[in-house]
Amino acid sequence: MTTKTSTITKNGSLKVSSEGSVWQKAITANSEWEDKDEFLDVIYWSRQVFGIILGVIWGIIPLKGMLGLALFAAISCAVVYLYSINFQSIDEEEYGGAWELIKEGFLASFAGFIVTWIIFYTGLHYDSIIAEKTL
Amino acid sequence: MWSDTLLIVFISISTALLGEGLTYVLVYRTDKYQKLKNEVEKQSKKLEKRKEHQNQNDKSQKKKIERDEEKLKNNNRDLSLVKMKSMIATGFAFTALLSMFNSIFDGKVVARLPFVPISWVQGLSHRNLVGEDFTECSFIFLYILCTMSIRQNIQKLLGFAPSRAASKQGNSLFAPAPGQFR
Repeated sequence: MTTKTSTITKNGSLKVSSEGSVWQKAITANSEWEDKDEFLDVIYWSRQVFGIILGVIWGIIPLKGMLGLALFAAISCAVVYLYSINFQSIDEEEYGGAWELIKEGFLASFAGFIVTWIIFYTGLHYDSIIAEKTL
Repeated sequence: MWSDTLLIVFISISTALLGEGLTYVLVYRTDKYQKLKNEVEKQSKKLEKRKEHQNQNDKSQKKKIERDEEKLKNNNRDLSLVKMKSMIATGFAFTALLSMFNSIFDGKVVARLPFVPISWVQGLSHRNLVGEDFTECSFIFLYILCTMSIRQNIQKLLGFAPSRAASKQGNSLFAPAPGQFR
């Protein structure tokens, strides 16, 4: 179910925004983003989810060492950049440069990623870590 | 060990909720805060728009922007003063809680890190743990990491985080805004 709210903007045009339409816009290429915050929110939240998913995958594999951290940072930034510039064709200058897009929600997603990585790594591979240590 | 790890995640979620709840009671629901917040938000947006359409040669416009900036600065200061009260209260509560948890998990390895942290983080990740195995993780490190992600997300989810326009303008008070000297 989608909840629709209509607001009349200053110049009198009707702006319809709803949860569903934001999601629709996020997955269709070259959407129009009148509200910058809306687009940044999409980036922020997809980044959090993305970080957690990568954390789970890294933990299951398990990836170890600084490679895991570097790989996450590289993938996360690259995906956000490619998504905004290539998929949505955003003019980065409007958002104050590509850097603003790349750093949107990065720290929170990075922390979320590390936590899930640690949890899955500890939970799934604890026995093998201990066995390795005692050898 | 896994139960400890999950317990810490749970603790971190609860304390983040508690902190936000406390701040809600003390700050967010007060009229003064809401009035100030709306004001700051409105002014930040207005200022941003004005800066975008700025005409370099128009002196009166420049003056207007300066006046707006001054107003925004004052409002921002008032806002932080309002927040201060709750920050002190939550600060005390959290120090007490943290020291309690610290003593519960004292010297306990709560998780295994899949990486060896860089040297200046090791003091935190290996706090109160014996041995030289730096992949062992202490309570405080995991707690801080959890809080970093959970607190911000909860704030954003509940709508308590400052808006982007406000924080952007707020930063420009201390650092020159990009393009200001173009």
